[in-house]
Amino acid sequence: MKMIKMLASSSMITLALSVVFTATSLAQSPKLNDAEVASVAVTANQIDINYAAVAKIKSKNPDILKFAETMTNDHKAVIAQAVALVTKLKVTPKDNAVSKKLMADAEKTKKSLLSKSGKAFDRAYIDNEVAYHKAVISTVEGLLIPTAKNAELKALLEKVVPALKTHLSHAEMVQMNFK
Amino acid sequence: MNKYGICFVLIAFLSASCSLTSEKPKVYTVEIKDMKFMPDDITVKQGDTVVWINRDMMAHDVTEEGEKRWTSSLIPPGSSWKKEITSTANYYCSIHVVMKGKIRVQ
Ligand SMILES: [Cu+2]
Repeated sequence: MKMIKMLASSSMITLALSVVFTATSLAQSPKLNDAEVASVAVTANQIDINYAAVAKIKSKNPDILKFAETMTNDHKAVIAQAVALVTKLKVTPKDNAVSKKLMADAEKTKKSLLSKSGKAFDRAYIDNEVAYHKAVISTVEGLLIPTAKNAELKALLEKVVPALKTHLSHAEMVQMNFK
Repeated sequence: MNKYGICFVLIAFLSASCSLTSEKPKVYTVEIKDMKFMPDDITVKQGDTVVWINRDMMAHDVTEEGEKRWTSSLIPPGSSWKKEITSTANYYCSIHVVMKGKIRVQ
């Protein structure tokens, strides 16, 4: 754990990767139940909406602003589906070590983004979007889908993966303009 | 008109109506599912119609890629949009710019 924390502070990419690493090691003991899986899913989507909100304040670049708008709408749509499902299943999403770690790391990243401006901000935002979507894809595929017990919850998580991968390709495309 | 003449007129009429039916414009469906246009490459005749149905949980659009000659605007989840096809076009989703499709006019 200590070493993971040290790695996490080194850079944004290793931070994103360590989330997955930590999430995977946490998955072995204790296992997440469906209420916790749902919480991680909602948190992961909410974090990207929060990043987009920062971009809308700080950026003037049309590609960045358009990407942020897409992230806001799509991740809201995913959360709406997740909320509809847990309501139907009478499950209340429950905070847990993985969702708390995601949120704590996201707060650090948000602070770092807020300290930048202009082209440096745009670059940092889109670099983080690439890294974050990679990390979330790994978490959903490697932890949440295999852990979810309810078939509908599993199906919803599986349906989110293509959207995350499309966001990643889109982010990588925007990132090219800032190389 | 003798009976061969009547027969000829009848055959001409039947074959004309037959070819008319085969020229009737067709309607093709493209599903938007899992962030893909399916099929993403479709061949139609001029005057045929393509209907795009959004089966995803997020909104998409269908926009001509070259000069943005036409666009569906936002297609919400569960909704559809149709267009009579007049020319070959590459199109994409302007919300998710990596989603692409093609219509070929035969
Ligand atoms: Cu789209």
